[in-house]
Amino acid sequence: MDVSAMIPELFSALPLTLAITFTAMFVGFCLALVATTLRVRRIPVVSHLTDLYVSYARSVPVVLQLFVAFYGLPLLVALLGAEDFFSPTIAAMVGLSFYHGGYLSEVMRPAYLAVDRGQHDAADSLGYTFRQKIARIVGPQAVHFALPGYGNSIIYLIHNVALVMYIGAADVMATAHLIMERDYNQYQFETYLVLAVIYALMCLIAWFIVHFFELRSPMQAPEATTTAQIKNAAIASV
Amino acid sequence: MLELKDLKLSYGSTQVLNGVNLSVKRGDVVSIIGPSGTGKTTLLKCINYLVKPASGTIAFDQIRMDYQRADKAAIQAIRLRTAMVFQQFNVFKNMTVLQNVMDPLVVVQRKSTDEAREIALRELERVGLSAKRDSYPSQLSGGQLQRTGIARALAVRPDVMLFDEPTSSLDPELVGEVLKVIKDVTSSGITSLLVTHEMQFAKNISNRIVFMDRGVVAADGSPAEIFDAPSNPRLAQFLQSELAFQ
Repeated sequence: MDVSAMIPELFSALPLTLAITFTAMFVGFCLALVATTLRVRRIPVVSHLTDLYVSYARSVPVVLQLFVAFYGLPLLVALLGAEDFFSPTIAAMVGLSFYHGGYLSEVMRPAYLAVDRGQHDAADSLGYTFRQKIARIVGPQAVHFALPGYGNSIIYLIHNVALVMYIGAADVMATAHLIMERDYNQYQFETYLVLAVIYALMCLIAWFIVHFFELRSPMQAPEATTTAQIKNAAIASV
Repeated sequence: MLELKDLKLSYGSTQVLNGVNLSVKRGDVVSIIGPSGTGKTTLLKCINYLVKPASGTIAFDQIRMDYQRADKAAIQAIRLRTAMVFQQFNVFKNMTVLQNVMDPLVVVQRKSTDEAREIALRELERVGLSAKRDSYPSQLSGGQLQRTGIARALAVRPDVMLFDEPTSSLDPELVGEVLKVIKDVTSSGITSLLVTHEMQFAKNISNRIVFMDRGVVAADGSPAEIFDAPSNPRLAQFLQSELAFQ
């Protein structure tokens, strides 16, 4: 088998890889939003439990979190009487969602706290409700602070999706291993190289999307003063 | 119109407000002066509940509230009738100058975008910022930021304007443009409370001066009474040290 035949086979596993990634991105984002809200508002007991969850997601190796999900989830679905629902792909989605949610919460919380206290005061003094304040003023500013960290966490998530093969989910990495074993490990370097390109492309696209929003942020407006003027003056003097 | 009684507040073991009593009549322009750390800004922030006093009462026309039994409706009613200008400007950084002035009108007062825009443009004209209406805060000087803050406060048509050291964060050459706008605002008859260290300015625009010291109102009177014949020895000492630098 040559490389040109191996590429389509690898790509056939891409939809499942992307499905795991996007599910973890979406569910993780929702979890992070809830976790951040609970942690910022400091509700007794609930906030401490949320701290514990974030600490678990950030300190336990991702591959271990996947094993916990893979072996723990069947016990949970058995309790609920939904054994048919379980599969390695579902375990991968659950495990990575929990990991990503906890990790992202530590991007969102500092971003929220980075919004100047005065912005809250100004909105409160003008009579904004809490929801209006978050939606109109604090939220958009926190998004600006969170975007670089969010971009990083997406890239880490994409990298960590490669670990789902350890619990038997058939992503591109697992498929690559199947191909190599089937071909008596003849084309290991080529296969890993194609895999590296696929991961690099996924990360690059994610980075471009996040960076696009970073540049579009209104808080990114160029300062009208010194830097531009100095540059213009320097250009004019040449 | 506005009456504060026996306001008390401490930050940890530091007693900041130690039983402040203050009443303001409609149309009054009251300047609050005093050494740093005597609770001037805290007092102003208690009025719109940005800071929560431990005890005391507030009466704002018909609205009455005991701070120990804070009531959301009363807080909101007071906030809707006051507007604050901050020492650090606190202009919304994610919005243009025009959006800053329009947003409270649309979001809080539920005015139509057209009406809000019309009011905002008029207020920006008043503070001399029409040309900067599409600029973002990062593109403005301190003086322009503070004038945006003043336009935003004026646009909500408050009954009382609260100025919290509006020129203390500005470069000396930018103070003048902001003081000119404040003078224009206060001379239009709107009730104003101004915390300031600009003694000469306070003397010129106010009809009442309140001197705060160690968390209480230590002297209260007309500018002439306070500046020309200070009866309180702490006030005399304070004025001497302040005016020595001006």
